Amino acid sequence: MIAYTFKRLLTLVPTLLAASVLVFLFIHLIPGDPAAILLGDTATPEEILALTRELGLDRPLWQQYVLWFKNVLSGDLGRSLFFDTPVLQVIADGAETSILLALLTMFWIVILGIPIGIVSASYKGTWIDQVTSGFAMLFASIPTFWLGLYLILIFSVGLGWLPSSGFPSVSDEGGWTNMRYLILPSLTLAAPNAALIIRLVRSSMLDVSREDHVRTARSKGLHPARVAIKHVFRNALIAVAAAFGFTFAALISEAVVTETVFSLPGIGRLVVQSILRRDYPVIQGVILIIVVLYMFVNLLVDLAYAWLDPRVSLS
Amino acid sequence: MNRDTRWKAIYAVVALCLAVSTANAATTLRYATVGEPPSLDQHVVTSDLATTIAHHMFEGLYTFNAANAPVPLLAASDSMSDDGKVITITLRDDVTFHNGQAMTSADVIASLQRWGEFGSRGGLLFGNVSGIEATGDHEITINLSEPFGPWKNLLAFINGGPAIYPASIMEGATKEPLKPEDYIGTGPYQFTEWQPNRHVELSRFDAYASPEGEADGYAGERKAEFDSLKFFPVPDVGTRVAGLQAGDYDYAESIPGDLYASLDADSNVSTILNGGPIFGLVFMNSKEGPLKENFALRRAIQTAIDKTPALQVAIGPEGLWKANGSFLPEGNVWFNDSGVDNFSRGDAEAAKAMAAEAGYTGDPIKFMVSTNYPFHYDSAIVYTKQLAQAGFNVDLQVYDWATLIEKRAQPDQWDLFFTHHGFVPDPILISVMNDNYPGWWTTEEKAALKAKFTASSDPAERQAIWGEIQALIYEQVPTMKTGDVYTYNIASPELQGLGDATLIWPHFWNVSK
Repeated sequence: MIAYTFKRLLTLVPTLLAASVLVFLFIHLIPGDPAAILLGDTATPEEILALTRELGLDRPLWQQYVLWFKNVLSGDLGRSLFFDTPVLQVIADGAETSILLALLTMFWIVILGIPIGIVSASYKGTWIDQVTSGFAMLFASIPTFWLGLYLILIFSVGLGWLPSSGFPSVSDEGGWTNMRYLILPSLTLAAPNAALIIRLVRSSMLDVSREDHVRTARSKGLHPARVAIKHVFRNALIAVAAAFGFTFAALISEAVVTETVFSLPGIGRLVVQSILRRDYPVIQGVILIIVVLYMFVNLLVDLAYAWLDPRVSLS
Repeated sequence: MNRDTRWKAIYAVVALCLAVSTANAATTLRYATVGEPPSLDQHVVTSDLATTIAHHMFEGLYTFNAANAPVPLLAASDSMSDDGKVITITLRDDVTFHNGQAMTSADVIASLQRWGEFGSRGGLLFGNVSGIEATGDHEITINLSEPFGPWKNLLAFINGGPAIYPASIMEGATKEPLKPEDYIGTGPYQFTEWQPNRHVELSRFDAYASPEGEADGYAGERKAEFDSLKFFPVPDVGTRVAGLQAGDYDYAESIPGDLYASLDADSNVSTILNGGPIFGLVFMNSKEGPLKENFALRRAIQTAIDKTPALQVAIGPEGLWKANGSFLPEGNVWFNDSGVDNFSRGDAEAAKAMAAEAGYTGDPIKFMVSTNYPFHYDSAIVYTKQLAQAGFNVDLQVYDWATLIEKRAQPDQWDLFFTHHGFVPDPILISVMNDNYPGWWTTEEKAALKAKFTASSDPAERQAIWGEIQALIYEQVPTMKTGDVYTYNIASPELQGLGDATLIWPHFWNVSK
């Protein structure tokens, strides 16, 4: 397993290299001049040219790439053109929000998705199944921005229970009670994903429940709940684990809309704003980190397979 | 003590505690902005968002009263020599910076020099300054090479303008914006912290010495009633509105016209019009392409367009726009009607004939617009249709704002582009007056009138010359004004002292809740 993990980590290198070239090229090929944006309407062409030179954006693209990549290898992602602070710091500022939001969202997905999925499968064909499946379909189809705005209208404007937007750091005044700012955004983000998990748990459990070992377990006279959890769910979990991996990674890109609606200072919004400002170093840095994160999550999912299913061999 | 009395006593104690805690609670104004400001350094940044925050911290020698006339702020008085070339400004001697130092002429000179050399609008004044010196601890003298009428308006306009910083901060400062740790000014609020994408926080400056006199626009007494001001970036407009209704914000800016009627009728929300309208401009390329030097063809385009339907579509409620051809609004000293007959004729037949006469044969006219500003895009769609009816072959090119900014700097990429302009106190600051601004309007007639306009110090004469320039704009059509747009903000009704409209940027001194 250690050898496998090491081998997988080694394959990260060419993937990262390819991703970094692609990201660099795409960003620099779209039109838009960061110097002109930074200097605003009153800048003269000479001033724009001078700043372009100062930022090193007048050099050939390959030179810019080599320089950037050399710095990345030494752990330096460059400086944000807009904030004039190191990219790593800009990303670290957004990471707190994004990580807490993703964790809280995963929490909702797990505590809503799995039990409802199990119940739905256990009562297949009854009204309980129809109601849960119906709601799952509904929440999988609702656009997140719409759901977000409605949650704000109901829980912030109408009932006044939860704050509508923003997220003060948990290290600020208020401490962990500031997590209440993330309740509505995480529910918004969790809704479509939990719905998918419900449907996935239901269908995998129904698949597994037709297998011989389940019939044997039932015929031995085991309690139906024990059959459902120990024999059916345990085996259905393999497919669900893969889905969790992708869901966690997708949360980062899906969070763009949610972070905008709820004005959260997260990484998703940072990327979008940096693209509009043509803040190249930030875009490159964030995307690189997202790529690494995706690859790590995939690796973890593969390792989880082996743990859940002894038949899977990692060698 | 019987049961009733005991309960009354408990109530009284609780009420007293609540009253005491409310009295001691820090009051914070929470402002929802449209986004993150680029930097708050007023010398080099012209973003309105930056000024909305920064003018609570930084002050200039002059500011504007409610009638948009420049009046002293850090200055006490001024005088001018008879030939109009020597300006002597006496400074107030009671002004303290946020770092505790007293303001002297050395600070003012250092700030004006940095602004003159590197500031966004500094070159306009300093192109005419031959020397500037301290002639006392609290007196400076500015020598002009030629008389220059707009000097006081330029010194009073804080956006991209001459904020006064301590000389120590100005040492070595260049075009690069100051870092937040150097945000030291003289205003009623001082810089506390900037958490990127979270908030910018200012706090009350206890040693603030307010100018005297009754509050009038930005002039007169300035009293910081809040303990702190917090500006939160809230890019989604639905969230800004819901956040204010939920009580998470006290003030939210830039609300779309569609919501005006319902918010204006809502007793839990106050609507505040922005007194200084913004106006759309469609620039024409004077350097390259079919419109270069073909004034007749430009007039044909101008004639084809009726501005009112575009304003109705793009803005909505009538109270929020005015099909006004004068570059500055009614009631302003620069308002005049020279040339405005041609503002919005919307006569397709006449335009067709004029275009034929101007030699137009159906070549495509590249019209760039950005979707970042919905009102640009909506107006451009209406114009494109009107132009097509008059026989013009318009190639509408839709970009994001960053792309448009890059492309408009390249003369071979476009013939028309849509932008908008903020309210300015002196027409010299309107972008079309700048020879370098994309469009590059540099005709001899313009140069002659512009020279006369800046040389005069007599307000009445300057107003008359501005009328001539405006008439020339309608004749040579370097740009087309699309009409005045009054943006509006919303506030919690608990805020006291806001007034019905802002002057240019909202201000929160003399405001409480």
